[in-house]
Amino acid sequence: MTRYHFTEHIPDLIEPEEYRDDPEGRRVKLRLRVTERGVEVIGDAVRPEELERILLELDPEVIEQMLCG
Amino acid sequence: MTAPTWQPAGFQRRTDRGQLCTLCPHGCTLSAGDIGRCRVRRGSRVAGNAGDGASEGDTIIETATFATSVTHILPVERKPLYHVRPGRPVLTLAAPGCTFRCSYCQNFRISQYGQDPQVPWSARSISTDEIVTRALIADAEIGFSYAEPVLAAELTLALQQPARVAERAILWKTNGFITAEAARAVAPALDAVCVDLKAADSSDHEQLTGAPLAPILAALAIWRAAGVWIEVATPIIPGFNSEPAQIAAMAELVVALGRDTPWHLLRFHPDYQLTDAPPTHPSLLQRARAIAADVGLRYVYVERALGQAGRDTACPECHYVCVRRDIWRFDGSELVAGHCPRCCRPLPGRW
Repeated sequence: MTRYHFTEHIPDLIEPEEYRDDPEGRRVKLRLRVTERGVEVIGDAVRPEELERILLELDPEVIEQMLCG
Repeated sequence: MTAPTWQPAGFQRRTDRGQLCTLCPHGCTLSAGDIGRCRVRRGSRVAGNAGDGASEGDTIIETATFATSVTHILPVERKPLYHVRPGRPVLTLAAPGCTFRCSYCQNFRISQYGQDPQVPWSARSISTDEIVTRALIADAEIGFSYAEPVLAAELTLALQQPARVAERAILWKTNGFITAEAARAVAPALDAVCVDLKAADSSDHEQLTGAPLAPILAALAIWRAAGVWIEVATPIIPGFNSEPAQIAAMAELVVALGRDTPWHLLRFHPDYQLTDAPPTHPSLLQRARAIAADVGLRYVYVERALGQAGRDTACPECHYVCVRRDIWRFDGSELVAGHCPRCCRPLPGRW
């Protein structure tokens, strides 16, 4: 079962300049990178649930998430 | 980390109907075995001598919030607090729990513990010694954020003296939903607060949060009078608090705290249970900022959507940019002892 871990920082993939062209916030961006621990997937989305649905399909051990505030 | 550890709480009073929690305005009356609306305070029967006038068999209220789910080191700009020690790191703590039930909460995996059955207890106990030691090692201030700091009032008060000795500021990012009694009690421990203001109309506020607005305004007045530095943050949510009249009414409430009160306009992201509203368009944030300026606010900030100009602090007199910020971080200050370097006007803050 996937666990959630709260992390201090995850790089932004969606830039503020893109907000105007995506009024419904449907954009999702993913960056895949091979690391020593396996494949790291970094995601960014205006609608976090959309991104989480994609990530959960991969059945990861852990999803790292930033918090607000 | 699977279950809370309970400790005797402050902010309680014996009544005929049970033990009254006087921390938040929900005012739960708890008998032994009851859990408060916040889900992190409970009634418990005293087994031995508990001190504080409680005898064996009495009911007292206990708290689960001498705990934290995180020990993050973040820039103070992330709270957001822009007029407080710019660029300083903040050891950020968060015990689970909240007095609100905001349907769009991005932090629901901490804040909605006990309200949402899918949210597990994620915290561990933490002592004031550990907090201060961590803050010293990181050369950081101490902040409570992510969940509701009001519910960690006892831990905040316990930190007051050791944090002062260690010269660490204590900061809250809070919903401000606290009784007047508790707001007065914690004020001496707090250096600065960023308070969420989600609506100017109480019924709108109740719809968004599940709680009335009036106690928050009362707490803001108490903290202001006590000298706690205040900044206000508002998510502009299309269809909920985004009409020009609603924005102007919220701006009026912020102006009532003083025209120098920084107001942060936040972009709403559809999240948790509120996914049918669109994200806040940059043009709406631009409009909201203009409305706030028209109402008289001097420092209105938008973190990302309007570029660097939305984040910088400009002198209201000569418009010189005195403090520059990148996204969620400090990028330099030209303030001279809190004054504009060009026209010498003092800028408000705890610089």
